[in-house]
Amino acid sequence: MTDSKYFTTTKKGEIFELKAELNSDKKEKKKEAVKKVIASMTVGKDVSALFPDVVNCMQTDNLELKKLVYLYLMNYAKSQPDMAIMAVNTFVKDCEDPNPLIRALAVRTMGCIRVDKITEYLCEPLRKCLKDEDPYVRKTAAVCVAKLHDINAQLASMLIAESHPNSNLLDLNPQTINKLLTALNECTEWGQIFILDCLANYTPRDDRESQSICERVTPRLSHANSAVVLSAVKVLMKFMEMLPKDLDYYGTLLKKLAPPLVTLLSAEPELQYVALRNINLIVQRRPEILKHEMKVFFVKYNDPIYVKLEKLDIMIRLASQANIAQVLAELKEYATEVDVDFVRKAVRAIGRCAIKVEQSAERCVSTLLDLIQTKVNYVVQEAIVVIKDIFRKYPNKYESVIATLCENLDSLDEPEARAAMIWIVGEYAERIDNADELLESFLEGFHDESTQVQLQLLTAIVKLFLKKPTETQELVQQVLSLATQDSDNPDLRDRGYIYWRLLSTDPVAAKEVVLAEKPLISEETDLIEPTLLEELICHIGTLASVYHKPPSAFVEGSRGVQHKRLPGSAGSGESVESPDTGSAPVASEAPPAVIPSQDLLGDLLNLDLTPTTTTGPPPPSSAMQMGAMDLLGGGLDSLMTAGFGAPPTAGPPSFTAPVSGGLDDLFDLGGGVGMPMGAYVPPKTLWLPAMKAKGLEISGTFGRRAGVVQMEMTLTNKAMSVMTDFAIQFNRNSFGLAPAGPLQVLTPVSPNQSIEAVLPLNTVGPVMKMEPLNNLQVAVKNNIDVFYFSCQYPISMLFVEDGKMERQVFLATWKDIPNENESKFQLNDCHLNADAASSKLQGSNIFTIAKRTVEGQDMLYQSMKLTNGIWVLAELRAQAGNPNYTVSLRCRAPEVSQCVFQSYEAVLKN
Amino acid sequence: MIAQVFILSSKGDRLVYKDFRGDIGSDAVGLFYDKVTALTGDQPPVVMTHRNVHFVHVWQGGLYLVATTIAADSSPFAIIDFLNRLAALIKDYCGALSEKTVQMNFALIYELLDEMLDYGYVQSTSCDVLKNFIQTEALSSRPFSLLDLANVGLFGADTQQSKVAPSSAATRPLQGGKSEIFVDVIERMSVVMSTSGVLMKAEVEGEVKVKCFLPSCSEIRIGLNEDLSVGGSHLAGYGAAVRVDECSFHPAVRLDDFEAHRILRISPGQGEQSVMQYRLADRLPLAPPFRLFPAIEKDAAGRLLMFFKLRCDLPPKSSAVNVSASIRVPNGCISLSQELSSPDQSAELQPQNRAVVWKVPRFPGGTQLSAVFKLDIPALSSASMMEVGPVCLTFELPKVTASGLHVRFLRLVPTQHRGPTQRWVRYVTHSDSYAIRI
Repeated sequence: MTDSKYFTTTKKGEIFELKAELNSDKKEKKKEAVKKVIASMTVGKDVSALFPDVVNCMQTDNLELKKLVYLYLMNYAKSQPDMAIMAVNTFVKDCEDPNPLIRALAVRTMGCIRVDKITEYLCEPLRKCLKDEDPYVRKTAAVCVAKLHDINAQLASMLIAESHPNSNLLDLNPQTINKLLTALNECTEWGQIFILDCLANYTPRDDRESQSICERVTPRLSHANSAVVLSAVKVLMKFMEMLPKDLDYYGTLLKKLAPPLVTLLSAEPELQYVALRNINLIVQRRPEILKHEMKVFFVKYNDPIYVKLEKLDIMIRLASQANIAQVLAELKEYATEVDVDFVRKAVRAIGRCAIKVEQSAERCVSTLLDLIQTKVNYVVQEAIVVIKDIFRKYPNKYESVIATLCENLDSLDEPEARAAMIWIVGEYAERIDNADELLESFLEGFHDESTQVQLQLLTAIVKLFLKKPTETQELVQQVLSLATQDSDNPDLRDRGYIYWRLLSTDPVAAKEVVLAEKPLISEETDLIEPTLLEELICHIGTLASVYHKPPSAFVEGSRGVQHKRLPGSAGSGESVESPDTGSAPVASEAPPAVIPSQDLLGDLLNLDLTPTTTTGPPPPSSAMQMGAMDLLGGGLDSLMTAGFGAPPTAGPPSFTAPVSGGLDDLFDLGGGVGMPMGAYVPPKTLWLPAMKAKGLEISGTFGRRAGVVQMEMTLTNKAMSVMTDFAIQFNRNSFGLAPAGPLQVLTPVSPNQSIEAVLPLNTVGPVMKMEPLNNLQVAVKNNIDVFYFSCQYPISMLFVEDGKMERQVFLATWKDIPNENESKFQLNDCHLNADAASSKLQGSNIFTIAKRTVEGQDMLYQSMKLTNGIWVLAELRAQAGNPNYTVSLRCRAPEVSQCVFQSYEAVLKN
Repeated sequence: MIAQVFILSSKGDRLVYKDFRGDIGSDAVGLFYDKVTALTGDQPPVVMTHRNVHFVHVWQGGLYLVATTIAADSSPFAIIDFLNRLAALIKDYCGALSEKTVQMNFALIYELLDEMLDYGYVQSTSCDVLKNFIQTEALSSRPFSLLDLANVGLFGADTQQSKVAPSSAATRPLQGGKSEIFVDVIERMSVVMSTSGVLMKAEVEGEVKVKCFLPSCSEIRIGLNEDLSVGGSHLAGYGAAVRVDECSFHPAVRLDDFEAHRILRISPGQGEQSVMQYRLADRLPLAPPFRLFPAIEKDAAGRLLMFFKLRCDLPPKSSAVNVSASIRVPNGCISLSQELSSPDQSAELQPQNRAVVWKVPRFPGGTQLSAVFKLDIPALSSASMMEVGPVCLTFELPKVTASGLHVRFLRLVPTQHRGPTQRWVRYVTHSDSYAIRI
């Protein structure tokens, strides 16, 4: 008796029959019936009508039958939530069964039933099973907590908090890393993958830590499971960035990486393909790893075509003077293969070799000529396209081949090849006797050609005319009229007109323009853009590495997707990609016009009452800050040593100064300035009118108190019912503001009651540039609904306490920032003298560094630093008796100037 | 993490379908089948995506084993590996992986999946761990019978008289049966050779597999060649030493005696395991098994004449079986006439592949075969001569390892288990990609 009969076609009264069988007294018959039900379920038939009958079979001590029933339950409980409740009792009972298999089974199944009502009952048994004596049950229960988190995050975090009070499990610090590394040696291959992937998210503090982690991960490279190997490679590739290149260990590591990567290629084609896609990335980042392993990328005749193409790509990336002869011999073989796509790519590869390795160019060209002799249509066309590129790299070197090319003019039928050929004819018109005839022959079918060919033909004929003006006047007029009068294509028309006017006004100038020397094409084509490559290296072994796209490009509603970056190298710092000077350290994404409500909602549903779990891990934003500091530090260093002869050790001291430096600063000023008055806090404004939020009214403001940014809110309940369960979440914003804790509204807000809430903020949240810069989008949740509003914060609250610059540094930095980054503002109607203004500004962490009086004008030089490390330098001019101040701001990120000025205005006028 | 796992027949019927996370609808099955059947040959089938659902699949035993995921950080390697393990486990439990066995044992497979994956995270794929949880008995499509032994050789080899292990062991479920253990050394050989016989590339990928049918598994010791050297080129002094460039081991292998005595110690679980994998490139201990001496010319009538001498350089006692040489010929061949040196050989023209396929069922070591092929090609030019070749060979070399790796001994550490235990050691070398350029 076999199970296959269950799949046989069914009769009309099948459900009835099954019902009868399910209610049979005989165990065997019952089991057979449940199997039949499951078989129908698998093929997609609706057997939910049998729900009560199947659930009735649940009370059994036959484990096999029980498993089958549970399988059914998982599938249909969601569509029959009321009925599913019937099963709860059995679940609870099974969770206390003496047999650990049954306990685990019950917990596992309960977690898979995504019905709210069941979830309530789940917690108690789950709590018990987490403390079960049997490890298998405990493990199953632990996974069940994860399931619970998806259904009801609040309940799950309660459970976690019970066993781990006050600890953040997701925090990666050296202690946890150490534990993970120890566990790495003891767990199954699948566990190792999870651990390695987790390690890859950690950023070591320095190169020594990085090296010690690398040393402990390296043994994984010889694991039999290729997923383990690749995850280990990811960790190593990432941490290697931090190792100084002159270190011996660095070289050792490079050597160790090659063999496992090569071994990956002996797997089945599917795995080979995935491995090759990853190797392609690795080779672009660190070609030295595999430079001696060229041979393994030689194509086998029985490789599937997608593997062949990928190997070819890597071969070209690895080609160098040392191995070019070998590569070329291979490519020549490939070019006579059967598969058209592969042959084309091989021919193209020969051209790329010629461009990449100059010494081989001659040999490549002669190989290409051999291939053209075969007269195989697609080979000839492809060869002509690459020969055009070779001409562009080595002009005037291989014209001797032109004659051969011209012989094949007739066989060209692809636009790209035709365009390439026309380009060659135009470029070397003076060397080709019958160039005019050749081009004329193309002109006959001008309107049938593709745009690419038309444009090329136009240019080529103009070139020809400029080189041989006497014989080709007619031809050029013909093509110009074709292009300008008979064509609908604006590109073509415009180009035609430009040539026409050029030729008619000043033929000499035309010659200079059209026949100007062209820039040579670069050696490496189709490399992945460096920042994308860096990100992809961080995603080695994942889907992103197969698609060669960042996860944000293929994950919808990219919740939780962060842009990862490689850590900077310590010591030499040579591989750090320093951001362009002047660009603000904000992510380069376009600011969204509206709040992506779905996104926010997703985040909110994830919202936790424990403060730390929902805020994304800080590395991305802190990495950015590092970048900005680097940039500043670097710039200053070089300036100080170059221009001012100041001792280089002076460095910018404020980077290391403790944040609580308010008092020191005070003394620094010599006490002559007056008492600081504390940061300016603007009055509360209405953020969310009750009309828009079902009765909840929120007004609030931002302030900085004792070095902590706070959001101060008044929540007023203007509805008829009590409001509870408040929670808050921010959208990504320019400075990474995020709640540092949950919203503390402990008591329910009854109708017409107002409550004050103070929310401390930190700046380690995800960063996205907003418009205006200081815009903040907020979502507030209560028991009624989720509400969105946006507000603007005064940027002054982001000025940190250690924002006072050394005079020397200030001077150097001021000069270093280009003039176009300076913004001037007028501040009207300010009736303070310079000293009063200075002390007032000091309260908001805008520090006066020097004061000068020139011709009755007071000049204050001031500096401030934002939480993300951006420095803003200011010059404030005040004339005695004149209420109008002039503020000049210089900053490497000029975007912030407008906001900073608004803060000046706000502080000084209040 | 994995959101769903399903197994489809080649016609797209659902055989097994299990959802682990509930975030992808069951319409994914249909979507997958549409996508996979619409693939053209040059598109990589490995990872496919639709909206934000990613499909990873392997094709084994005429079935699609598919996993879906929506998480961008899932590792396709891990998923493919997992699916391969699933396939191996089904083979271990049910004897073979086919539409029929999966249909017969769907309840068992559901049970397996339930234990292997929880909430989309892989828990365990080890047969030993899993057998503690599995209740359902496997049903084998065909009971094991001694009759099967009668005339089937190992790896298709015609070796009736030689003493070989029963091939049906490969398609037998674990439960029940005799206590037997098989150690297979399987190698795949890739060679690229120029016309003059110069090796341009030579590579051997090998694997030591243990398939264990012992009811209670004790430790076994596998002794490899004592002169085996790993990695270092410093040892390859006089050429006698057996060398591998690198090797990796199953995590359960204890290597205490490996450095000194080249002994692998392992307590194999029931079922099949790959104990050791190794690779060797460039300097093979033996000459490559085949050499080709071609001569190609145009005759007066404009036909293409190809003379081939093919020599088998194996030791005289060994022989190659199922040798097939595929000779690439120019475009536009119309007909072929051939002269072969013995009647059991055959040759045919396959115009769609531009190839002449020459088959030799059995090729003893140290012998030489010759063949003449005459091809009618209307548009024969001098350039078409360039299109001749390469010649690609496929073959099997039973009882031969290209690397020279051998199992010195296979010892079972005595346990309570009584009764005779059959121990088998088998060697075979397959061609992976053996190409001779002309």
